[in-house]
Amino acid sequence: MSIGCRDLRVRAGHREVLHVDALDVADGSTLAVLGPNGAGKSTLLRALGLLLPPRRVTGEVLLDGRPATVDGMRSAVAAVLQRPILRRGTVAANVASGLRLRGAGRAGSLARVAPWLDALGVAHLAARDARTLSGGEAQRVSVARALAVGPRVLLLDEPFAALDAATRADLLADLRAVLDGRRTATVLVTHDRNEARALATRTALLVGGRVRGLGPTAEVLDRPVDEDTARLLGFTNLLPPDGDGPRRVARPEDCRAGPDPVAGAVRGTVRRVVGLGEVTRVDVDTAAGPVMCLHPGPAPAVPSPGGAAHVVASATRALGDGVDPVRPPASPAPGTGGSAGRVRSGRPR
Amino acid sequence: MDVLLDGLVEALRLLATGDEDTWAITALTLRVSLGATAVALLVGVPLGTAVAVARFPGRRVLLAGANTGMGLPPVVVGLFVTVLLWRSGPLGAFGLLYTPAAMVIAQAAIATPVVVALVAVALQQVDPDFRVQMQALGATPLRAHLALLAEARLPLLAAAMAAFGAVVSEVGAAQMVGGNLVGQTRVLTTAAVLATSRGQFALAIAFGLILLLIAFAVNLVLTVVQQRTAVPR
Repeated sequence: MSIGCRDLRVRAGHREVLHVDALDVADGSTLAVLGPNGAGKSTLLRALGLLLPPRRVTGEVLLDGRPATVDGMRSAVAAVLQRPILRRGTVAANVASGLRLRGAGRAGSLARVAPWLDALGVAHLAARDARTLSGGEAQRVSVARALAVGPRVLLLDEPFAALDAATRADLLADLRAVLDGRRTATVLVTHDRNEARALATRTALLVGGRVRGLGPTAEVLDRPVDEDTARLLGFTNLLPPDGDGPRRVARPEDCRAGPDPVAGAVRGTVRRVVGLGEVTRVDVDTAAGPVMCLHPGPAPAVPSPGGAAHVVASATRALGDGVDPVRPPASPAPGTGGSAGRVRSGRPR
Repeated sequence: MDVLLDGLVEALRLLATGDEDTWAITALTLRVSLGATAVALLVGVPLGTAVAVARFPGRRVLLAGANTGMGLPPVVVGLFVTVLLWRSGPLGAFGLLYTPAAMVIAQAAIATPVVVALVAVALQQVDPDFRVQMQALGATPLRAHLALLAEARLPLLAAAMAAFGAVVSEVGAAQMVGGNLVGQTRVLTTAAVLATSRGQFALAIAFGLILLLIAFAVNLVLTVVQQRTAVPR
């Protein structure tokens, strides 16, 4: 099943906090919604799931191209929220609770959850009290619970945000394995580029309640359109333009500070040098603003604080001023799902 | 000490011989107090739920009112209900004063604020996104509400126990709106007050013991229900 929206607006009081012209997630595909805190990501997810008070929302949510009804949405959707909200009772009962809420009998639903306990690696916890689980275990149970209802639309609201790196990587892999080959349309809300890269074929950048970029994940993540999206995508260093060209941005890991003037280098003053174990962080104040350089290992050649330094970026992106941020992919890649943004593809729904 | 000992012996004798009056008083006490608790739950659970989950003007005032009502003097409630039910009062036409129904009304009025306040607190303890998560798993709004109540069932049963405790032990309202009429509106508390004032301490102690026993039995049942549903850690 595909999910989408048209001219979706959400208000908080008299303020419009979200306005999305169009978004489409084809069945079997995953869309990542990447944005900073407060961008309206969770609001978008809840609006898509018809989980907000109707008086706050205008516009249309579409299921399979048709306006979604509340009943239709309830039967299609399952969501995993940022905090795993589990019910009193055992892990198995929790995983079965989605089925129970849809009217299935107790014994029947308990019998159906076993494969999901296995798939998410929580089978050994089946009889445990859900309140005694660790954060990672609880989120696994929450994911298993959502998948157990056989959702045709899966909404994931930063499900990995509260987990440590190792637990996150494991759960990410398990989730990817489960979603592969299913016809579920998945929307993943996240502020982590790596999660988008791991799970999503397409990515939308959401800043200030507006979509600022939309397309295949690899392209979107590598193509900041303005300062906000540049910051979001890790291009946190703002560099002066080459001559009359657009402003340039670079990632700290692509920037090096050295004592010698090199062609194309940006001149500045070293503010501080901090050893961070595997990398050394060098902060340089330039005419265009502060620039952070991450040198692998120690950086003996870097001038001391107060000294003059020259920053060279091995990879930069030009900020496309005035360019339509919602750019269509050059050609629709096979298997990346339906169209998105203001551009409609010719794919039949 | 003799008075106390005699009282205990008399109480056991009354219970063992199955004194008809005592049984009638006990049965009426149970009927009135359980009835009042049921009414208080029927009114208080929806109200407490609304206070906990809905946003409407006057919500905080209502909650503050309920919190105040937890300490409502039964005598004051008795007075108001008496005035309402008095023959020339607004509800006098129903002829309810000095009937068990009047006692149920008065005791329900005492217990309802207790239920509202405790239910509101119990539901506010649950994650604010709980209902959203339940709906996001396919629950209808009604099912999501019921799931919320089920989630808070332990404190909800505690609210029921507190409500029953408040009404089974009160004497002021029962006396005022019931009138302590033999065979009609005499309950254990009013009977104990009367017996004490007449110097029949043994009888009063017997009533007191039965009252304790009832309170314990009802709370035992509720506690067993409450703890049965809790998963051992």
